[in-house]
Amino acid sequence: MTHAAAQAPAGKIVDRDRSAALAFLAPSLLFLLVAFVTPLILLLGVSLAGPSGLSLDAYGKLLGTGYYLTVIWNSLRLALLTTIFALAIAYPAAFALARARGMVRTALLTCLFLPLAASVIVKAFAWTILLRSDGIVNRILVGLGLIEAPIRMIFTETALIVGSVNIFLPFMILPIYAVVTQLDRRLSEAAATLGAPPIAAFLKVTLPLTLPGIIAGVALVFSLSVSAYVVPTLLIGERYPTLASTIAKAYLLARDPQFGAAAGVALLVIALIVVTLSARLAGRENSR
Amino acid sequence: MAPGAPHLVVRQVSKRFGAAHVLDRVDLTIARGELVTLLGPSGCGKTTLLRLIAGLESPDAGSVELAGRDITRVPPHRRNVGVVFQSYALFPHLTVYGNVAFGLKSRGRSRGEIDAAVGRALSLVHLEHLGARRIAALSGGQQQRVALARAIAVEPDVLLFDEALSALDRKLREEMQVELRRLLREVGATAIFVTHDQDEALTMSDRVAVMFAGRIEQVDEPRIVYARPATLFTLGFVGLSTRVSGIVAGSNNGRVEVDTAVGRLSAIGNFLIGSPVVVAVRPEHVRAAPETAGNCVAGRVRSIVFHGSNSLVEVDAGAATTLLAQIPNDVSAPPRVGDEIRLCWPVAETFAFPMPEAGA
Amino acid sequence: MSARIAITLAWLCAIGAVVFLLSPLLVIAAASFSPTPVFDLPVGGASLRWYARIGALDGFWPALSLSLQLALLSTALSLVLGTLAAIALARGKLPGAQAIATALVSPLMMPGLVLGIALLQYFRAIGFNATWSALLVAHVVVTLPYVARTMIAGMVRFDFTLMEAARTLGCTYAQAIRRVMIPALAPSFLIAGLFSFLASFDNYPVSIFLTDVRTKTLPIKMLQYIDEAPDPTLAALSTLILIATIVLLLASDRLVGLHRMAGTGD
Repeated sequence: MTHAAAQAPAGKIVDRDRSAALAFLAPSLLFLLVAFVTPLILLLGVSLAGPSGLSLDAYGKLLGTGYYLTVIWNSLRLALLTTIFALAIAYPAAFALARARGMVRTALLTCLFLPLAASVIVKAFAWTILLRSDGIVNRILVGLGLIEAPIRMIFTETALIVGSVNIFLPFMILPIYAVVTQLDRRLSEAAATLGAPPIAAFLKVTLPLTLPGIIAGVALVFSLSVSAYVVPTLLIGERYPTLASTIAKAYLLARDPQFGAAAGVALLVIALIVVTLSARLAGRENSR
Repeated sequence: MAPGAPHLVVRQVSKRFGAAHVLDRVDLTIARGELVTLLGPSGCGKTTLLRLIAGLESPDAGSVELAGRDITRVPPHRRNVGVVFQSYALFPHLTVYGNVAFGLKSRGRSRGEIDAAVGRALSLVHLEHLGARRIAALSGGQQQRVALARAIAVEPDVLLFDEALSALDRKLREEMQVELRRLLREVGATAIFVTHDQDEALTMSDRVAVMFAGRIEQVDEPRIVYARPATLFTLGFVGLSTRVSGIVAGSNNGRVEVDTAVGRLSAIGNFLIGSPVVVAVRPEHVRAAPETAGNCVAGRVRSIVFHGSNSLVEVDAGAATTLLAQIPNDVSAPPRVGDEIRLCWPVAETFAFPMPEAGA
Repeated sequence: MSARIAITLAWLCAIGAVVFLLSPLLVIAAASFSPTPVFDLPVGGASLRWYARIGALDGFWPALSLSLQLALLSTALSLVLGTLAAIALARGKLPGAQAIATALVSPLMMPGLVLGIALLQYFRAIGFNATWSALLVAHVVVTLPYVARTMIAGMVRFDFTLMEAARTLGCTYAQAIRRVMIPALAPSFLIAGLFSFLASFDNYPVSIFLTDVRTKTLPIKMLQYIDEAPDPTLAALSTLILIATIVLLLASDRLVGLHRMAGTGD
């Protein structure tokens, strides 16, 4: 048997395995190429296509008009406030959740999953009922004597943030919970026996160990809330225009695809920055 | 078919993975009811040979015959083989009963037949009371038995064990070796074990096939593999030995005289004068007695390892040569470390092998 | 001492979070029994009349049917595509498997609205104007990442020796997939399918750009009802959707366990 002849069948076997794997992958990759990557490239093209060739007019309008700068700021502000409040509630709550055992834990997890599985529109609609001037929150506040007459809550920024935190809170709790359950409680106990006061033990041991969960939760909640559409539409409406509502308006009402596409690209860029930044931070955490 | 007639015939089988020659023109013939072990270090091709017989790999060249049928190109589901995997590969979504019944269902047996066969197989492995158990609720030893029952239940032409006992702890493994051999005899199974554990191979099988670098070095009864190793590799892989290299100085009627660093030694073998060889002896043939016949070497005791009825004594014979001797502990004056000692052994137990080429 | 305060605080936050998260759901359920057309708590007496009116909502049945079709079909397609891809990534020894896995999951990071307008532009550009099919394609883009993520995780843990065992026990490769791989991976399939179904059924921001006057999904219809004439009928409808979701969750909990689902964040 010559060397070359012996090599041939062996090469074929490796090729066969690999080509089978590629055949299994091909449908998904082709589908995403045709129905995901190409449309996004096209969108970028549309945002740069003026009536007479290449133009940056849409981006100029978006970044050069006071009104649209406010719109971008509104989106970022919504995401920022939602993320901060969600983190403030979720972080301690995740610790309690991780300490829970048996029935209590099952009950708490169910309470987390149920709202996650419920439609965003249903929940946003519920908040419009809750926050109406004759709504339940107002009645409770009046009943407790905290306010004299019902106050207007719906269509305020408070309503928007309350609704947004409500909808995105589970996305903050779950990643932090996942990290905390893996956290060895003995670690901070060990730090305590070494003479570190609880606060110092927390800052030096617990916080760094839970940072990956925080990064994941913050990235998720920020990128979800920055592009939220249903919540602002139902809870604050026209008085708080966001990038998302601008995109919808450009396509559904104004029929200005170039500008809508540019706003879409802007939103995409924000999402990409958040994802890249969080991946970079998570990577640095892991390599430590 | 008459007992002793060929039942499984592997003929000139070769297999390559990429550049590696995993099996190189392997021949193996197994009789009905025989228990054969493929023994060798990892990477010697023993598992690949087993998978070829099971149909999980196909050979680049050569053929496999089972029960008088050429199965070289037959897919695994149409070969009648039973495999016990190293990880057991029990189906986690099925009960013990479901696992054992699996192969029978594939073969389209009736409900009653399946019940009876599963019952038989489970009682053989003493698990008849655990049929409804989930796999996750079993101990390692119990899982091993379920895997065995699953493979036996279909009454395969040959049972294949891929390092099947290696996941068990030592005590359980030794118990299983004895029980498995009894059980396989009871059902008259033909079986092939793959293992790297020489004790397991010597305990369990009728014949041992020692494999190295894609080739079968020797196939023989365990006793012969141990006492009359055909190659230097077999000698080194099975049991302990002392090896000394030298040059053939005289050759006569199947005996050679070899000049070594510790003097002239006589050995069994046919070599041309001037050939480089390795002379070897098992430690149990080496005696600390003032014999006159045979090979004798003097040295100083370097270490003694106590093994109950005997001790393994390491003797430094100078010239970077160490001799191993197994000395009975009933002698009145056992050697001590540092003693000068003279060791002798019979020429009939001294082997000569060709010197392996450099790098081999 | 301060440790105890911290633990108490953590529990307060957890309980507060639970109350906060559940309150909109409870309010919707309560309001659906409202005796008057304004949203009232059914204090004086509960009424079921709003439930009877759901079916009379303009265009409700076609929207429900469309949403169910899309959710079921896109989930089925995603399960097939995602499972095949997961097998390839777990078994293929391909260079860059990690990068491919990330690429498959990447649409998850995409703002839905942006995906919606991108697909709208694209379908216009290539002259593809079959609304139903366009919606289906969009929903597969939305659901595939959920399925891919869960199935890749499941497939990496799957012991492929089980397939070999099945084949030596008399199964063809196809039978081994049906009798061993699918049942052994049932939890992964179930979780992937559940996430996928809910993601499609609840999708608004992608669908909104791809619907036409006659073809509207349920979430779009619901937002339209809320805009036009919000009355307790909507609360009744929302409550029914919630109940269906709870039933789905309880069934999967029975089969898989919620704790394991919480762990799917990888």
